[in-house]
Amino acid sequence: MLRVLILVLLIVLPRASAAQSAADVQAGKVLFGHLCVTCHGFDGAGGAGPPLNRAKLVNAPDDAALRTIIADGIPNRGMPRVRRTLDGEQRALVAYVRSLGRTARPTTRGNTQKGSELYAKLNCAACHIVKGQGGTLGPELTDIGVQRGPQYLRQALVEPAAALPNSTLRVQGPGYSEFLPVRVVMKDGAEVRGIRVNEDLFTIQLRDQSGKFHSIRKSNAEVIRKETGVSLMPSFAGRMSDAELDDLVAYLSSLGGA
Amino acid sequence: MKRPMPKAQSPKPRAALATAVLIVIASASVFAQVSYQRLLNAEKEPQNWLTYGGSYKQHRYSPLTLINRQNAGQLKLAWAYQMQRPGVVETSPIVVDGVMYLTEPPNSTVTALDTRSGRTLWTYTPNIPPDVIVIGSPPVNRGVAILDDFVYVGTVHGHLIALDAKSGTVRWDTTVEDNKHGFYLTLAPLALDGKIIVGVSGAETGIRGFVDAYDAKSGKLVWRTYTIPTPGEPGSETWGKGDGWKTGGGSTWLTGSFDPELNLLYWATGNPAPDWNADNRPGDNLYTDSVLALDPATGKMKWHFQFTPEDVHDWDANETLVLFDAPINGRERKLIAQANRNGFYYVLDRATGEYLASAQYAKQTWADGIDAKGRPIRKKGIAPSLEGTLVFPNIQGASNWFSASYSPQTKLFYQAARDMGTIYYKGDAVYKPGTAFTGGGGRAVNGDVASGAIRALEATTGKMKWEFPLLSPGWTSLLSTGGGLLFGGTEEGNFFALDAESGKPLWDIQLGGAVRGIPIAYSVDGKQYVAIAAGVTLYVFTV
Repeated sequence: MLRVLILVLLIVLPRASAAQSAADVQAGKVLFGHLCVTCHGFDGAGGAGPPLNRAKLVNAPDDAALRTIIADGIPNRGMPRVRRTLDGEQRALVAYVRSLGRTARPTTRGNTQKGSELYAKLNCAACHIVKGQGGTLGPELTDIGVQRGPQYLRQALVEPAAALPNSTLRVQGPGYSEFLPVRVVMKDGAEVRGIRVNEDLFTIQLRDQSGKFHSIRKSNAEVIRKETGVSLMPSFAGRMSDAELDDLVAYLSSLGGA
Repeated sequence: MKRPMPKAQSPKPRAALATAVLIVIASASVFAQVSYQRLLNAEKEPQNWLTYGGSYKQHRYSPLTLINRQNAGQLKLAWAYQMQRPGVVETSPIVVDGVMYLTEPPNSTVTALDTRSGRTLWTYTPNIPPDVIVIGSPPVNRGVAILDDFVYVGTVHGHLIALDAKSGTVRWDTTVEDNKHGFYLTLAPLALDGKIIVGVSGAETGIRGFVDAYDAKSGKLVWRTYTIPTPGEPGSETWGKGDGWKTGGGSTWLTGSFDPELNLLYWATGNPAPDWNADNRPGDNLYTDSVLALDPATGKMKWHFQFTPEDVHDWDANETLVLFDAPINGRERKLIAQANRNGFYYVLDRATGEYLASAQYAKQTWADGIDAKGRPIRKKGIAPSLEGTLVFPNIQGASNWFSASYSPQTKLFYQAARDMGTIYYKGDAVYKPGTAFTGGGGRAVNGDVASGAIRALEATTGKMKWEFPLLSPGWTSLLSTGGGLLFGGTEEGNFFALDAESGKPLWDIQLGGAVRGIPIAYSVDGKQYVAIAAGVTLYVFTV
């Protein structure tokens, strides 16, 4: 009799838990669509936020860590607590995000090796650092494949001003555009153009293309123009074939061991 | 060289003893610190800052003139004090005869400082359990109250504690309400005649709010007035037929105002719970998001006015309640005004609660205006939703805990306004004592697309006289002075003095941390000082 009971339990329990898990994944998918898709993309393919369709998530090595991130966000790193979530909602989101990691990652169309060669040929390293090598005008790209989705990276290449990065640096507050070009004309006629490094009510700090810092007291400036919708990054639209673009995106997506 | 003996005869031993006793009594009376009479007349002691808002009227106005429009440019640091632990510092110091009492996060610490040198005289930290429940704000503290020889502090574990003003020793320690159910205190208590008034935080855990009065000497509860009626009581019909009222919020987390002539205590209330989901609380949800006029002897409600009926955006109405008198339509009126978190400025008759005027003072997208009775005309499609609804003001509101200021000199009401939106989400809420009971939340629309400003409003109408734009929506309290100045700060760490008449900047300094402290002014040895906390440091400036 006991043996029969154990057998029944062995058959029933995993099914119950599988059903529970499937229900969680489904509930998690709905919640994900409401709360997470803006940054992490459909099916967790990534966007301005990291792709989540990976077997390993750098900041969430286990389910408990993932749950904590969902519950609290990652303060000052761009991941907000969009809203408070109940225990069951957190469980569902964890189940859904983990399910994304189990499904095969969509193969990037490009060739990583060719992309790496293009990166060198286009002299991207003049402005970007990968593993300690390169210039400092633009964002570091060492882990960019972990931080951003392929779609976002593709857009950054063809339409770089469409979405300047924000909330990835600790210097400016949440939501501020990073690498924002600013043009300043001082009252004595001197002109400075650079990216905004920091700003407060009375002063603004810029870094120009040569890397030099400029500290400006706003009351001494005639014009301070924040060039919203402009990026110092050149657009590669029309300068590369689609296949080349795919290769470069594939290379960038591979950075960070993703 | 021998000193000549005094010519006069030495007093007889008994007389000497009597004289000695007299001296002791006399010096004791010097330290018999702040009587109720002194609190009533706080404005007549501009060298001190005796109560949270500077006086019962909550003007946050200092009549001192030694720092003024002419010399503000020469302001310089006198001293600084580093908080003992990291945290968000939102303290408004109190100053009494050369001693400053301030509070420090995260454990409701009270510290007494020498106002001349900044050196510590005593410090006290209650035993806060490591599992203290603080949901809805950081574990901040906004200051102490003082009455006679006692200093009073509300704590994050839900206690009201009386300390000896000279030594920081505990005189009594009363549990206001159980922190395991989410009750906690961040406000500066208000000292009246023999009573200490406090309110509580905790709507985000589904508390039922109340205002309490405690006996100042013993710590015994004198009265409690709940902000949410029980079924059958007036107002209970605004909660639907369910039991939503039991967990309906209505916190009372900021210090109220008091009119001794009308003998009315004014206290404001916070949001209904759960914050963003009204499914279980259909109706106006009285007396949340309201101002209550209470009889200080009994706690009985004399009138109420609700700013945001059936709130689904977390727009607590706890903001500063400023009392002033002014003519309206040719008749002198006793007024109460507030720049509410919902984006509108309101003026009421404080004797009756009659709605007199309102004006939009910050960006808002939820109401078409305020009707003749003071009720908002709500737009459609502004409720939080599963996929998110963008609404201005944001979750933290157009205003919040940070103090407004009213200058009797300029007759202007000064408010730091937050022009910012939130994408509001609706979620489910399950009540479990001591856990978040909010039913949703929001994604801030911040950074370069959000902004803020210091706005100077004509106090009787709310009409804007001038504005001083800020880089970002701040959390800055304001202080106006008899020297014609208005002090404020920014999230980016600037602290500045403006011309209170025109809003023109006269002086500024970078303090290295967000300005969340609440400014005050005092004088000692013939010099005026302005104190403000930024980051985890209290800075004191003078000229």
